[in-house]
Amino acid sequence: MFNQIKDLAGGELYLISSLIMFMVFFIIVGIYLLKLNKKHIEVMSELPIKENQSKGYEEN
Amino acid sequence: MQLERFTYDNKIVRNFGIATLVWGIIGMTVGLLAAMQLFKPAMNLGNQYTTFGRIRPLHTNAVIFAFVGNAIFMGVYYSLQRLLKARMFSDILSKIHFWGWQLIIVSAVITLPLGFTTSHEYAELEWPIDIAITIIWVVFGVNMFGTIIKRRERHLYVAIWFYIATFVTIAVLHIVNSFELPISFMKSYYVYAGVQDALVQWWYGHNAVAFFLTTPYLGMMYYFLPKMAGRPVYSYKLSILHFWSLIFIYIWAGPHHLLYTSLPGWAQSLGVAFSIMLIAPSWGGMINGLLTLRGAWDKVREDVTLKFMVVALTAYGMATFEGPMLSLKQINGVAHFTDWIVAHVHVGALGWNGFLTFGVLYWLIPRIYKTELYSKKLAGFHFWIGTLGILFYAIPMYWAGFTQGLMWKEFTNEGLLKYPNFLATTLQIIPMHVLRSIGGAMYLAGVIVMTYNLAKTMRSAKLVANEPAEAMPLSKEIVDHSAADKAWHRVLERKPMKFMVLSLIIILIGGMVEMMPTFTIQSNVPTIASVKPYSALELQGRDLYIREGCVNCHSQTVRPFRSETERYGEYSKAGEFVYDHPFLWGSKRTGPDLHRIGGKYSDAWHYNHLVDPTSMSPGSIMPPYPWLVNQQLDITTTASKIKAMQTLGVPYAVGYDQKANDDLKIQADQIAAELKQNNIKVKSDREIVAIIAYLQRLGTDIKANKTEIPTN
Repeated sequence: MFNQIKDLAGGELYLISSLIMFMVFFIIVGIYLLKLNKKHIEVMSELPIKENQSKGYEEN
Repeated sequence: MQLERFTYDNKIVRNFGIATLVWGIIGMTVGLLAAMQLFKPAMNLGNQYTTFGRIRPLHTNAVIFAFVGNAIFMGVYYSLQRLLKARMFSDILSKIHFWGWQLIIVSAVITLPLGFTTSHEYAELEWPIDIAITIIWVVFGVNMFGTIIKRRERHLYVAIWFYIATFVTIAVLHIVNSFELPISFMKSYYVYAGVQDALVQWWYGHNAVAFFLTTPYLGMMYYFLPKMAGRPVYSYKLSILHFWSLIFIYIWAGPHHLLYTSLPGWAQSLGVAFSIMLIAPSWGGMINGLLTLRGAWDKVREDVTLKFMVVALTAYGMATFEGPMLSLKQINGVAHFTDWIVAHVHVGALGWNGFLTFGVLYWLIPRIYKTELYSKKLAGFHFWIGTLGILFYAIPMYWAGFTQGLMWKEFTNEGLLKYPNFLATTLQIIPMHVLRSIGGAMYLAGVIVMTYNLAKTMRSAKLVANEPAEAMPLSKEIVDHSAADKAWHRVLERKPMKFMVLSLIIILIGGMVEMMPTFTIQSNVPTIASVKPYSALELQGRDLYIREGCVNCHSQTVRPFRSETERYGEYSKAGEFVYDHPFLWGSKRTGPDLHRIGGKYSDAWHYNHLVDPTSMSPGSIMPPYPWLVNQQLDITTTASKIKAMQTLGVPYAVGYDQKANDDLKIQADQIAAELKQNNIKVKSDREIVAIIAYLQRLGTDIKANKTEIPTN
């Protein structure tokens, strides 16, 4: 299964640099997620089901 | 600050909803007709406007851009207003958007059967309609961003991110895949040729699935599912991860549509690698959706809208697991060009898009009419007949795909193809096609029942065209109460334009890494000295091949498998397609590949086969094309076509456009004379002569100089 992405006859550069690009991007999003404020998450996730505005959080 | 009173525009939501229902029935009915044509050629109805080659694009365009398109706008216009606590930016823009989109669809319904097509799958509409699509898409974008700017909710909920990504990516895809050089009012040539054209098309084609059939629907899922279940999404963090990784990865996966073709190997491998990675965000989204229902499964038993949502998410999960598997070369080698792909697509289309649309319609229509659904029983019936319809559709298609894919590859002990006659493999799967039509008819019946149910619901009450709402306006100054408020993403959620630009950059990375080298590095498309431009007659014949939609059933790319080189001849090389504006590799082999058809049969064979396919291939399901004999070839376009090709870099001699018709007539006379020797009397100015010239030319260039064929 992995032979098809292992032997690239000179095309490794494209694949490796693309994967590195994704990894860097993924790590940035990951760090951001870890740093997210719990209260913010709660307010955001309730946006569709709450008829009122999300005032509670901003006034903290 | 004062509480502001305003209203939500429900009329535009209702209108898009009705358009979804009407186009859904039309698009699926055309699909059913096309399905029946594949086992009963008489269903082609004996005229050129309703042959499979012309109505298959009508079916795909109608269900993708008319049915799903209108459903997207219905869902976006409903949820956007409520998530932002604001009425749509401009009622006039909403109306222009609605009527403009319907006009585009009507123009597709008229032009596709008439044979006006670019031949790029899901982008068949000709250049004037492409321009109209661009304008209306911009109208939609202005209306959406205008609403975002005048919002009363500071932060943008994740559904809106998906809508923004949809808007920006579809704009990029549509523009890049519409670089066409017009030669007349309804005819153009793609600027790209051969391998490059194929890469652009499948970058577009795959991402049309990603950003038209998936991201807006995920946005709708993230809004409507919590609404229906009465609880927030399972994990908002997961939805953020889902969003960014999905839009980053999806854009790279296009080349998996071109495995084993002459596309450079590294691009194919990139496509495979990113396709496999795509499982993670896709399943993250599906799991996030299904887990939103944790502790609420009792509701699923009673609430038909949730039933539709659960099946939709399950179908999404199945299709997004199967997609990466199909992009593995070993599986792709068997599955590609067969009904397996048709099954895969329809699990997504019927299950994910269809069922999510139905769920939203059943939930939303009674709400904007402030009434109850006319009949829950009928909705329950729709759910079951729809689910059974999907099964009756998909299972026979999988069966047909496995069967035919394996038959194509089977050898006898003596080392010969077991089924050298392609038609034998077609006839083997006819019963599966009959069953598939039954599945499709069941699904369509469900949609008709739903339309009746919703029409009754609408008639029983009055639309709340302007739904009152109230909210505090946003303060001009933003007060950051904690350091976390300044986090980049939090700021981005407040800055929609910057958010759009960042999404744009993310989706451009993949496309650029794959396309730039293919376009700029010479070694990626090695030229072959013996490959020459088409003669004027062949070029005209090629355009007839495009007009008749032959590409919908016949591929033009021989893969480097023994089973294919035995059946068709030498495998296809990138250098053979450098003058092909557009490429015509196709994606489905309902009939055999035609890249090496040139010189295989006589002109007389082709003539008889086109007029009555069963006379040469008893049992053939190809429709007859008698009008090609009756219709005169339009040679007034030859000069402009040659000129356009010259502009695109095809090396015709300077001034050849003025002499091309002389050469055309000489070649046509030769073919007519050849036919006459076989007792076929046909005037040399008929269309059939041009199409025979083209077919006889296909794949013959490299036969002239076999020693110097490059190996890519």
